[in-house]
Amino acid sequence: MYDAPANKQSVDQSNQKITARNVQVFYGDKQALRDVSVDIEDRTVTAFIGPSGCGKSTFLRCLNRMNDTVAIARVEGDIRLDGEDIYHPMVDPVQLRAKVGMVFQKPNPFPKSIYDNVAYGPKIHGLTRSKSELDGIVEESLKRAALWNEVKDRLQESGTGLSGGQQQRLCIARAVATGPEVLLMDEPCSALDPIATAQVEELIDDLRQNYSVVIVTHSMQQAARVSQKTAFFHLGNLVEYGETGTIFTNPQDPRTESYITGRIG
Amino acid sequence: MTDIGSTPAELPGKAHGRSGSLLTESPMMKSRNAAEFRFRAYGLTAIVVALLTLAITLFTIVRDGTPAFFQAKLTYQVFIDAAVVDKNGTADPVEMAKVTTIGYARLLSNSLLAYLDEKGVAVEGMTDKEITDMISKDAPARLRDRVLADPSLVGQTITVKALVGGRIDGYLKGRVTRESSANDSNVTPRQLDMADRMVEAGILRSGFNWRFLTAPDASDLRPEAAGLGIALMGTLYMMMLVLIFTLPIAVAASIYLEEFAPKNWFTDLIEVNISNLAAVPSIVYGILGLAAFINFAGLPSSAPIVGALVLTLMTLPTIIIATRSAIRAVPPSIRDAALGVGASKMQTVFHHVLPLAAPGILTGTILGLASALGETGPLLLIGMVAFVTNYPASPLDGGFMDPATALPVQVYSWASRSDPAFIERSSGAIIVLLIFLVCMNIVAILLRRRFERRW
Repeated sequence: MYDAPANKQSVDQSNQKITARNVQVFYGDKQALRDVSVDIEDRTVTAFIGPSGCGKSTFLRCLNRMNDTVAIARVEGDIRLDGEDIYHPMVDPVQLRAKVGMVFQKPNPFPKSIYDNVAYGPKIHGLTRSKSELDGIVEESLKRAALWNEVKDRLQESGTGLSGGQQQRLCIARAVATGPEVLLMDEPCSALDPIATAQVEELIDDLRQNYSVVIVTHSMQQAARVSQKTAFFHLGNLVEYGETGTIFTNPQDPRTESYITGRIG
Repeated sequence: MTDIGSTPAELPGKAHGRSGSLLTESPMMKSRNAAEFRFRAYGLTAIVVALLTLAITLFTIVRDGTPAFFQAKLTYQVFIDAAVVDKNGTADPVEMAKVTTIGYARLLSNSLLAYLDEKGVAVEGMTDKEITDMISKDAPARLRDRVLADPSLVGQTITVKALVGGRIDGYLKGRVTRESSANDSNVTPRQLDMADRMVEAGILRSGFNWRFLTAPDASDLRPEAAGLGIALMGTLYMMMLVLIFTLPIAVAASIYLEEFAPKNWFTDLIEVNISNLAAVPSIVYGILGLAAFINFAGLPSSAPIVGALVLTLMTLPTIIIATRSAIRAVPPSIRDAALGVGASKMQTVFHHVLPLAAPGILTGTILGLASALGETGPLLLIGMVAFVTNYPASPLDGGFMDPATALPVQVYSWASRSDPAFIERSSGAIIVLLIFLVCMNIVAILLRRRFERRW
């Protein structure tokens, strides 16, 4: 089971896409994350694992400043995307989110047509000058999300009428359409059946060719299957971070070992 | 859980007799079922009572109000005598306008007497005055308007449909009887006999009364001429203005409070205030409107614009509350999705949240408007109960500033007059008001459907 990811270790890991240093997150008086420092590499799938409430989703939402929408949330520390501080006062989170796309736990397509779902991002960012260019982006994005063949004849139908797995791939297509550099996925398969999960996992592996993918997952098997790097969070701390193969076969921290062997979590 | 060795009698359920046959109802179950049955009966009774009340109300209103839509008219030939209406023979409208309705009344009376003679319709011992009194006081004014509008009618014999007095009309509708006429100085039994003859001769006929919907109000002596025209226009003007005032304010306030406002003591205060304002008695808004809009701002009293401002104040809290709950009902995942692809806060609201909240917003708004439509109290205080006989101008010519009344106020003012003919019209006005309401609700439902179909 753990052999497969070991084969994927041969990617180029030299360039770091996101560097986080001493990140602390508070919800009101409660501290949700303590001193998290992680380097996320380009063209790599990085998985965040850990028991519920360990802060992995919180950290993920720091990376595109979705935590800004939570009034009581406060983020401290330093997170850089390509060396630029994303919490710098001059940074507009809207611009950041175009570069750092996000896919959510529950498929949440807009109640619009499939076409409009994918075209929405490029439209608001003014990425296209003509209808044919937009058509091209929609087709390209749907192809990247491995959904094109299933929906190419019904682009004007509602996105909410698709099956759960198709909806989630539509959300991935929507995120890809804005031309992001990083894709954040918050438990993208937790609402899907095993077949849809397999499709999405396969897709994540393809996306690695072009993007840096960060995925939060409850399933350790999933982390092992799709990721090259794994971070284990526990009670708001980053316990261990390293090659997926190493984490699963030779964890350094006793807490990691307990978790992956099923004793805690 | 239980020890394998324990006997069945020791199980907790056994002690309460729950282990009996499934075919017999346990006493506990019996009382539970009875309670459920009683509760259903209460609910059903409540619904039946509510429906009965509604049915009785509607029945009474329709029974009392329908006659208001029908009016008896005399149809006969009138000779427009140039010697009366145009003494100088100039056909000059300014000169002709000097002839008052008294002259035209004479024309109508003389022609009626001649016409009855010709047809041989007569009642023993009836004076000419008794006969001519049967014509409504409103008829000469109508004839005068008609001749002034078209001076070429002078010297011709034209067919006139003249209203009869309210008592004669009431007799044909069964409201006035011979017994009641004995105690009534406004009508004699001979006039009622005459009315019967006229109906037989085909002179007096009852027909649909469009003027009930178009004519202005009329004085106490002429209930047969009173109509809802100005009240309908005033109500229409007010509803237009209320919609124009409330919708943008309510939607903007709701969006700000729901999506942008920070949660602090100040926004909490605003929230509490809005909820409390929704519960303020409407008459209080009337006093406020009188003080603020008429006495302080100097707007004209009885004007639809003042009425609309007062009703706006009154309905705003309701519509804001409805709009906020519609916005709150939009799933947060949609907001996350929009923000996640890099939409700004405003794009998220206008592209995704508002379209999804639109059906709820529309329903809330129209229900708010409907409650404003039926509101009487505040309008009484700002003078919309006035007796208005001139139609307000079109909105482009400042019609919102012209005096007008409103439907519910017209109902109130007619209901408080002594002549039973006005009570009938009051019920008729209620029917019009209800039709207005039903139309607005249908519009609300249609709009809701339309917006919901867009997934």
